[in-house]
Amino acid sequence: MIGILFGVLVLTASVVVAGVRMFVGPNDANRVIASDLLFFSVIGLIALLGVLVGSRAVFDLVLVATLVGLLATVSLARALTNGRR
Amino acid sequence: MVFDPVLHEHLWMSVTGQVLIVLGSLVFLTAMVGIVRLPDLYTRSSAVATAAGVGVALILLGVFFFVPGVTTAVKLMAAVLLQLVTSSVGAMAVVRSGYLIGSAVYSPTHHNELEERTEGAPGPGKEGRS
Repeated sequence: MIGILFGVLVLTASVVVAGVRMFVGPNDANRVIASDLLFFSVIGLIALLGVLVGSRAVFDLVLVATLVGLLATVSLARALTNGRR
Repeated sequence: MVFDPVLHEHLWMSVTGQVLIVLGSLVFLTAMVGIVRLPDLYTRSSAVATAAGVGVALILLGVFFFVPGVTTAVKLMAAVLLQLVTSSVGAMAVVRSGYLIGSAVYSPTHHNELEERTEGAPGPGKEGRS
């Protein structure tokens, strides 16, 4: 139990820190990297929430989130350069 | 299904799951420190990609020990494999785009293959912009 709570604490702090980096980031690429970290922290938070609440439906959510995470990252990377590779 | 982790029927599963979750959280902690303290985009992205691959995989493995079962195993294994394969791809795509829009390169860096390969294309250049 204490391990799960520690995980929730660290992941929440990670969301906050990623938000700070997104705010102060020197350019847009740093903001994209911070949004990446924020997204993965939220995936971990969703999984830990599933354990705490005792729901199995949450794991479908985790699977879909990992699928969509790559799409979000790659499309943000394309949007950074206006489609140029 | 009401689930109480304290009253888990097998103690070793609870302990193993919590140890794995704490290890994953420590990977996230290093990523957190890295994204604040590291000097440029490229090193920061290495910290974040590590957390995305190893950290999420460890946390999902730990979660599996709390909710065992075949369906959970299939879903979480698929998620872990996808995460391990795609996190590095996403990070590389972002960093390449970041180089092309001219993110600064930390000055002690002395091996820049992208500079030779993207000759003529816009980039930070030899002197490095910030």
